[in-house]
Amino acid sequence: MLSVRVIPETEHLEFIRGRRSASFLQVPAWGRVKSEWRRESLGWFRDDELVGAGLVLYRQLPKIKRYLAYLPEGPVIDWEDEDLATWLRPLTAHLKQQGAFGVRMGPPVVTRRWSAAQVKEGIADDGVRRLGELAPLERGSVGARVVSQLNHLGWHPQAVEGGFAAGQPQYNFVVPLRDDAGDPRTEDDVLKGMNQQWRRNIKKAAKEGVEVTSVSGADVGEELKAFHDLYAHTAQRDHFTPRPLSYFRTMCEALGAEDPDRIRVWFARHEGDLVASTISIRVGGHAWYSYGASSTEKRDVRGSNAVQWAMIQDALAAGADVYDLRGITDTLDADDPHVGLIQFKVGTGGEAVEHAGEWDLPLSGALYKAFQLYLKRRG
Amino acid sequence: MSLTLTVDGERWRTHLRRVVDANPGLVPVVKGNGYGFTLGRLARKSQWLADQGTGLDTIAVGTYAELPEVATRFSGDLLVLTPWRPFGAGLEVDPALADRVVHTVSRLEDLDDLLTREPRARFVLEQVTSMLRHGLGTRDLWATAAVLARHRGARLEGIALHLPLAQGSHLSEVSRLVNDVVAAGLDTSTIWVSHLTADELASLRASYADFTIRPRVGTDLWLGDRGALRVSATVLDVHAVERGDVFGYRGRTAPKQGHILVVSGGTAHGIGLEAPLGDSSIKGRAATLARGGLDAVGFVRSPFSIDGKQRLFAEPPHMQASMLFLPHGPRVPAVGDEVDVRVRYTATAFDRVVLA
Repeated sequence: MLSVRVIPETEHLEFIRGRRSASFLQVPAWGRVKSEWRRESLGWFRDDELVGAGLVLYRQLPKIKRYLAYLPEGPVIDWEDEDLATWLRPLTAHLKQQGAFGVRMGPPVVTRRWSAAQVKEGIADDGVRRLGELAPLERGSVGARVVSQLNHLGWHPQAVEGGFAAGQPQYNFVVPLRDDAGDPRTEDDVLKGMNQQWRRNIKKAAKEGVEVTSVSGADVGEELKAFHDLYAHTAQRDHFTPRPLSYFRTMCEALGAEDPDRIRVWFARHEGDLVASTISIRVGGHAWYSYGASSTEKRDVRGSNAVQWAMIQDALAAGADVYDLRGITDTLDADDPHVGLIQFKVGTGGEAVEHAGEWDLPLSGALYKAFQLYLKRRG
Repeated sequence: MSLTLTVDGERWRTHLRRVVDANPGLVPVVKGNGYGFTLGRLARKSQWLADQGTGLDTIAVGTYAELPEVATRFSGDLLVLTPWRPFGAGLEVDPALADRVVHTVSRLEDLDDLLTREPRARFVLEQVTSMLRHGLGTRDLWATAAVLARHRGARLEGIALHLPLAQGSHLSEVSRLVNDVVAAGLDTSTIWVSHLTADELASLRASYADFTIRPRVGTDLWLGDRGALRVSATVLDVHAVERGDVFGYRGRTAPKQGHILVVSGGTAHGIGLEAPLGDSSIKGRAATLARGGLDAVGFVRSPFSIDGKQRLFAEPPHMQASMLFLPHGPRVPAVGDEVDVRVRYTATAFDRVVLA
């Protein structure tokens, strides 16, 4: 029998520290980043032993005190269990009591993998428009079991078609930092896995004298503004809505306070000019490239490749298992504007992974429907 | 003197080739009455298709009892659609066929039982579908991996799905079922399916490019080109009747002037009392009633038609012949003439099949 109850953040953090991998969206500090929502650290107990944890963000429905309980890329439970109901039932009971009209979560399990070579061939092939049309390298049976059980338990998949959905990306690009036997890969080995252009660009950046430095998020101070200026510039060029400086400030402070190794801000400079700047995050053996910015000038010094390589080297040095470049869309259509991003990430030679995606469980049918309608109107 | 199925051989063979070529991995279904053609003929035709280099390597029979009919006429693998049970004909398969027969297993306990008796058995695992006929449930399927681990010689040939006839798209159900196959972590990536449209199959192949999809096809293969098939009966006798004349086993009386026709084809052939309308909706039945006329005096429509018009049974069909009533007016066929018959092929036993 498992039970769920609210736990202090310290206990939550302790549990995450005892794990090799958990999404950074499931650490207690992430709840501080999302300060506009009520947060809760939940623990799963078998007898008195803490065996699972989850960060819940309560998103309020306009005007009434009812919430969508959201566990981004979580919770951190034993997803291999063939009886997930024993984990999920006490969770939903608790959330309902807290006023949730529905639950949304993203089981961190892999359902399919594709190699970089396969993705590349898929983009070149006019007959293939989506990742799902390519035969995967592997289908995950654990992921499939989770999907199967969630279907049976009444959860609904939040389908992602085309671009990025509102929630967390279902498709990510990752570079494994361990070989099949589980041994750490060398820098040379990782470099060899990259395509020629990447290797050439990394070399070129070094030859041009691009210098990469980094600061722990906790200590970033005024330098964060330099990142943000370049990021705002990138947003304007690439037509996306930038987040305010304060958001990154909170992120660096909250995550940095939790662990000095949690978050780093990276700067690639050429003759004093900032040409690329990024943010990396690490939880246990999982390192992420989280945000990135690049200058429009001096693209030929390849600052973006240099800063990525520095982050990968750092992850390797930290003994990480995987370097995660985060979301890609599932489009392989060479004419799609998103395809350039995939091509950039694919050049690192890793693999595309599909996760089980985000799933909803309505707890109050009427309110859940109203919420979906509200989301649709908001577009 | 018989109920005859005449096949335009050239056209039929062209159709068969086209269907097989368009569906890689196709498994012809050869069962029951052989869709009117007989099992033996369809088995031979399957062998002919295999010999054409189509890659056809397996046919499916309905029951173990049907194996001897096809085994000598087709040299490839023989899938039995009825699930294996620890009793009955499944235990009495000719040992000479053991290596060609692919069993269907639909219960966890049967899997263990079959493999204990026949450690090298070839089989497919059937998953239960919304049809709820035979098949393993989700968790049973997951549990098969453990059973198979105990039987190292077992030869798992794939997963079988028996879907209901299309009511909307099957794809979401199939995706759910295939996901369960992945979840089971089994060492197979072959899915045997039935009743998917060409579009559904194409979509399935696209989503599961790493799987081998094997469509089992019966009706659409053998009967897919109705224009190549003609069913006819022979007029055996013609009697002119006046209103009130008595006729037939039951001593009925003629409602008006006309002819009683005796034609070949009766209950022994599968000719039923009511013509198969293919339309069993309330609306269809109401239309039958509304037609009135002779229907109202108790005459029902027969599947026999003369000059393109369906005629009425004068009385219920006999074992090998039927009596029709032809009112005064239209052309009266002569003894020895042929009339067209509309039949349900899967329920009809023809006296002759003529491949022209």
